[in-house]
Amino acid sequence: MRAFETLSYDEDGALATVTLQQPRIDMRMVRELTAVCDHLEDDSGSRIVVFRAAGEDFLLGIDFKEFRDAKVMDIHGFNKWEKLCVRIERLPKATIAALHGRVVGGGVQLALVCDSRIAASGTTLQLDEVHHGFLPGMATFRLAKYVGLGRAKRIIMQCPELGVPDAIELGIVDIGVDDLDQGIAAEVARFGPTHAVSIQLARRLLNESYGTAFELAIGNFLAAQHRAITQSAFLDALQTDEDGRA
Amino acid sequence: MYRVPDARVASMFRAPHVRTRHLILPTPDEEGIPRETMGELLGKHRHGALQMGRDAVARCLDPLGLCPADVDYLCVVSSTGFMLPGLTAMFIKHLGFRIDCSRTDVVGMGCNAGLNGLNPASAWAAANPGRLALMVCCEVNSALYVYDDDLTTGVVNSLFGDGTAAVALRADAQDEPAFAPRILGFHSHIIPETWDAMHYAWDEAKGRFSFRLARDVPYVLGEHAHIPVTALLDAHGLKRRHVKHWLVHSGGRKVIDAIKYTVGIREHDVRHTIDVLRECGNLGSGSFLFAYERLMAEGAVRRGDYGVMMTMGPGSTIETALLRW
Repeated sequence: MRAFETLSYDEDGALATVTLQQPRIDMRMVRELTAVCDHLEDDSGSRIVVFRAAGEDFLLGIDFKEFRDAKVMDIHGFNKWEKLCVRIERLPKATIAALHGRVVGGGVQLALVCDSRIAASGTTLQLDEVHHGFLPGMATFRLAKYVGLGRAKRIIMQCPELGVPDAIELGIVDIGVDDLDQGIAAEVARFGPTHAVSIQLARRLLNESYGTAFELAIGNFLAAQHRAITQSAFLDALQTDEDGRA
Repeated sequence: MYRVPDARVASMFRAPHVRTRHLILPTPDEEGIPRETMGELLGKHRHGALQMGRDAVARCLDPLGLCPADVDYLCVVSSTGFMLPGLTAMFIKHLGFRIDCSRTDVVGMGCNAGLNGLNPASAWAAANPGRLALMVCCEVNSALYVYDDDLTTGVVNSLFGDGTAAVALRADAQDEPAFAPRILGFHSHIIPETWDAMHYAWDEAKGRFSFRLARDVPYVLGEHAHIPVTALLDAHGLKRRHVKHWLVHSGGRKVIDAIKYTVGIREHDVRHTIDVLRECGNLGSGSFLFAYERLMAEGAVRRGDYGVMMTMGPGSTIETALLRW
């Protein structure tokens, strides 16, 4: 892995950790996170990826000075950021967002594309884009699935700063922790034996569940289940299970 | 619709994934049953192939300002009827191809055969730069139809449609006169353990040919689909994420689903595959070319994009080709 400027990457056995080293999203960070995704997809033997931050806050949103190539404002930076979010959302690993401090704008989006979200006490989450006159990315698509349409409208249009208890109540944070390192270790343990194939398939079916008719979804499920039950991870576990019982 | 007494079979004909199809259908007898002799079915293949072949050749060559006499190599792919001499000979006699045209008939290879024909056709084109090769996939699936009470027959009769597609190939320095991809390579895969999972063979007891499709076919194909795709991409140092366009055979809704989840592609990637299935049914070997036609009509392909063609059929076979525009 090459050296990064906007983040640090660390891999310890099954656990990969991405630590953001600056509070704002810029094109360099998008490029470097994309390179991390390449590594995670192509070369990494890790099973779980944690996204966390080194500074006082998790992420404070976009740095517009460094978010475009040309002088004029255009859509391409947003497009690259959204493509990155989809990459993270589809990684062949379980993903954990470990939040602390302020989590604003794109930081919330990054948390929503992960499989689980834990937050240190004192964490606040806010989608403030609409108050600044633009839009909170594809959080406009994802948030309502987590919280329901009415609550999503309030969070996106009124931009409240949500504390951990409120965020847990809403379902955008799963667990509040006092110590983030201990919290991460506990969350990693909860994922148990993570199988890349079943994690990816289960997540994909869940993500597709709101937009697919049942008649198509059942076909998708059967195809995914066949994929799952013909892979060695499942067959080996089944064999061990049957040997144990015999 | 003909008399279909079995409710399960009738529901297959109403399934939403195939809405319309083109078929050459006989007049039913007074009981509502379409009786066709083997001879009538073979005649249907011969006439249908010539009729539809003429249209497909014109649809391919006319926009390029070319005609059959310009073709130096002709490959015709078909699995819907045995003829001797074959379809290339008949096309030369009736459709205006030259008598010195080189030719290959790919017969009896089923739904995957479009890529089995494209492989030698593109090799011929590469070996003969500037000269024109044409592949015609010619499937009169209604010439395979039989009428009986078997569930499997119901599956087959409710899935397949008639359709013919042609593609022109030429090795040129520039991609003139049309914006077209280069074929970078092929990769094949066969699953011999499932040799008879899909077959069309003589049934001695019934005294006629009958089609068999084992119910696990979609899943078996799905299970293996990633193997040739990965090998194809590895050979060119590519990953799944580098492929912008997928042109998958419209085999049926279940097999498309299975491929989506094993190859790791999305509903959007198979939009044309599903569209072809809905409007035309499973067209056999030419299906993926109908998806290609829709992709090019969409106008979303950019220079430099990679694409994968993928066809599946009896054997059980998975054929793949890598394209770059």
